Amino acid sequence: MIEFTYKIKDENGIHARPAGLLVGEAKKFQSNIKITNIVNEKSADAKGLFGLMGLCVKKDNEIKVSVEGEDENEAAETIKDFLEENF
Amino acid sequence: MFNFFKKAKDKGILAPQNGKAIPLKEVPDEVFSQKMLGDGIAIIPEDGKVVSPVDGTIAQITDTLHAYGIKSDDGLDILIHCGIDTVSMNGEGFDVKVKEGQKVKVGDLIANVNIKLIKERGFSLHTPLIITNFDEIKDFEPVIGDVKSGETVVIKYKK
Repeated sequence: MIEFTYKIKDENGIHARPAGLLVGEAKKFQSNIKITNIVNEKSADAKGLFGLMGLCVKKDNEIKVSVEGEDENEAAETIKDFLEENF
Repeated sequence: MFNFFKKAKDKGILAPQNGKAIPLKEVPDEVFSQKMLGDGIAIIPEDGKVVSPVDGTIAQITDTLHAYGIKSDDGLDILIHCGIDTVSMNGEGFDVKVKEGQKVKVGDLIANVNIKLIKERGFSLHTPLIITNFDEIKDFEPVIGDVKSGETVVIKYKK
């Protein structure tokens, strides 16, 4: 399993539209990808839009990403890049 | 009897607003138009009333009150996103009438949206209605044209 944290820089946090893009990235991989909002300790599957929206991730919140599965290296790398570009 | 079964399989999602239903690909935001969140239609609303398009449960309301996730009783995750880039309005102009976890029936009022204010702020009123777990759907047919909230079918589908 690979884990990393990321601090959200986007003014609006992870809201509906970009959360959907994150789901699209996550779905490209076999691995289980879990996102946890460290601030409120809520977790969700990165492949489900409603779950991600429910994390209530705001600007400056830190999230933890946990990736586990056969393609975890590539998945973790892709998700990390995606977060840096979009959030 | 046969007809009954046929009817039960062909399902429909109703218009959440009064206005005009257009193809999703005409929405001026590529995240929606390229169907990155799933497939559906968009409404150009003529008034601010937003009602539930299905029987289901309110799964998500964004903090900024401009997007609503509804889990339909038959398992679809439906997203209604009022306007484009309206996250920037920080909730202003969105009067939400339901709570997360609340059961809703088709036609129940979800929110009153101040479409005049959205226009004044320079945002597009296009309101995508998207099935976000689109992989659950076998047959999908969007219905385009003038629609009445809670009455006109805008998406026909089979699971």
